[in-house]
Amino acid sequence: MDARTREYLKGRFGDYYRRAVVTPPPDADAREWGYIPWTAGAGTTMVRHESLLNLGHIGDFLAREAPRHAYFSAARYTDPSANAMSDKDWRSADLVFDLDADHIPAIDPEGTSYKGMLTACKQSLLSLLDILEDDFAFEELEIVFSGGRGYHVHVRDEGVRELDSEARREIVDYIRAIDLDVDGLVRTRASGPTTQRVLRTEGGWGKRTHDRLLAFVDELQSMTEEEALERLQELDGIGEGRATTILGAFERNPQAIETGNVEAGGPGLRMLVEALAHEVVEDQTAPIDEPVTTDLRRLIRLPGSLHGGTGFEVQRIERDAVDEFDPLVDAVPDRFTGREIRIDAAEQGTVDLLGERTNIEPGVNTVRECVGVFLMARGDAEKAKE
Amino acid sequence: MNPLHARYPFFDGAREAVEASGVALPTLIADDAPAVARGRERVERALLSGTTESETPREWSTQDELLSYPIARILVSLIDAPAAVRKYAAAEAATAADHFAEDFSSTDDGLKSTNQRTVSLDDVLREFDLADDVIAEPPERGRDPDWFRVALGSYLTLSNADWGDGWRLVNREVVDGAVRVERADLTRLLREAVERRVADGLPFQVRGTAGGDAIADSLESEIGTLRDLLADRRDVRQIDTVAPDLFPPCMSHLLDRVRRDNELDAHSTFALTAFLTGIGMDTDEVVQFYRDTTLDEETIRYQTEYLRDDTGAQFAAPTCATMQAYGDCVNKDERCETIAHPMSYYEKALDEADDVREWREA
Repeated sequence: MDARTREYLKGRFGDYYRRAVVTPPPDADAREWGYIPWTAGAGTTMVRHESLLNLGHIGDFLAREAPRHAYFSAARYTDPSANAMSDKDWRSADLVFDLDADHIPAIDPEGTSYKGMLTACKQSLLSLLDILEDDFAFEELEIVFSGGRGYHVHVRDEGVRELDSEARREIVDYIRAIDLDVDGLVRTRASGPTTQRVLRTEGGWGKRTHDRLLAFVDELQSMTEEEALERLQELDGIGEGRATTILGAFERNPQAIETGNVEAGGPGLRMLVEALAHEVVEDQTAPIDEPVTTDLRRLIRLPGSLHGGTGFEVQRIERDAVDEFDPLVDAVPDRFTGREIRIDAAEQGTVDLLGERTNIEPGVNTVRECVGVFLMARGDAEKAKE
Repeated sequence: MNPLHARYPFFDGAREAVEASGVALPTLIADDAPAVARGRERVERALLSGTTESETPREWSTQDELLSYPIARILVSLIDAPAAVRKYAAAEAATAADHFAEDFSSTDDGLKSTNQRTVSLDDVLREFDLADDVIAEPPERGRDPDWFRVALGSYLTLSNADWGDGWRLVNREVVDGAVRVERADLTRLLREAVERRVADGLPFQVRGTAGGDAIADSLESEIGTLRDLLADRRDVRQIDTVAPDLFPPCMSHLLDRVRRDNELDAHSTFALTAFLTGIGMDTDEVVQFYRDTTLDEETIRYQTEYLRDDTGAQFAAPTCATMQAYGDCVNKDERCETIAHPMSYYEKALDEADDVREWREA
């Protein structure tokens, strides 16, 4: 990035911040703050160990410094500006989840468009929220578009703020179903003189598997017997005999399946349960980035600030707006939509923003400012003379 | 004096009772009151046997029992070793867990206490500020609930993934912000809550004031003995040879006694088991080694497991000085004059022997 581009972006970030209202996180005074300024060269230097006492009012600071990136700590400290971590006196930390397109297994970063990555990430966000809201019943959730390639969720419920790193790892492993004991989803229960094998239907991955099983039973019941037998035999290890036993058990005693009793269907049914459990894990886990959640002292992007690698707003999203949220429209700052600028692009390409496709040719292009800011911030273009 | 406080001396109410009693611990210590002897027993039993229950419960009054707890905390602080705190807190917790189990089963429905001498589950939950965090599910049959729902934060705070795969959150039924646990698991969590409360604030600074120095001075002999039980740790060369012919005379003697008389006191069993563990025998081997004796297999297993602490380090067998103090140093031979530790004796004997007969190959 050349000096003119850097000056331009810094100036425009400053213009953005002078109009923007940045709402600080709760307990802002107890947080550590950090930022990366617009400096020359490839290396980035983060300025950290700052407190609001040092920086002053956060809005004024951002307008004055117009940093390239701005962060605050998930943690609350007694003395957030102490230089040594041990002197800060850690008190608690938000439970933070990070979803980044880089970590989504189904995505090939080379072959997937930026838009495609964001769409896949949104799906993972919905899976994550499902677990956070249904299983964990968290109430103080803040959902944030990271401004880059993913989403952050900040959880501030009283009950989890003081959890240590190991406890947070348990939460990560739960969400990702790491080390899930699939055989253990079925437990043996004493029933009079005999025992019964039952799914753990009251919660967790057992309940999720049970829900899938019930849906699967519904699916089979909507088919002819022949179709149903065929559907069952698509599963590994289930031949005609087992398929018949399973189907018979579903028909004879539907209540047993409702309550999670998998005794009657024989070994075939238990294989079916296992297969469904693997499907459920595949579909419903969220590939959150573990170190972000387990690091009790992490700095996280400040909602309301701009992401220096895209020029997008790091944006809070209301829960009921998540489904409709389109980062390539909603996170584009209005400030950068009103005029056109000239940029010098390195390569040919296309940019999809605000529902418009812009074709970029090598050399000087005149584009909407948000497109230019995006390309310059990513390092794909430099500012051309107006 | 409320007997409940003596039974659960780490409860907040018990601490208040100690304060309200007007008894000054320094005076108690200076007078070598019974509570001091019981306090020493608490720690000693904790370090040796993993319990703080008295071996002679009739000897102590309710007040001795209650006051022995703050005395024990002073002793543990003066020993000043992380292993002492860890083992002491674990022992108090294990003892409390036994008491909980007795009390809960003696109360009618396990939920309400029927008298002052026992606690109910609800009492314990309230004591640890868990009343809102633990909800009983309606029982499937009978009156006692089998399942409980523990708030996620409390579950994660008290449980430990190292307890086994079943404790991993991923393998639990988690619903509406709570984790489902069976009664036995809830008891395990409560034991952990006790252990943390006991360990909280330990060790504290005893010396440093005139009063504190006086206490520490009066307890010096107790500390010496207790520290020996623990601090007989030393860097032992990794030995993995079992050659009973080469055992030091003290250990051979203890072995003879346990085989002939079928009886050893706790110190001596501990010394022998620690020695056997120290020369590389695992739990099954130690049990096998004792098979012709009446020593209870469970006790041996417990002791052997207990001799290894979490860090993988072990309690080494007692030093020669400790063996002497307990009257277990007998039949000294020439080699004894050159060493200060039964393990060193054995190392030398192995080095000097021409032919080592390995018991495991017999």
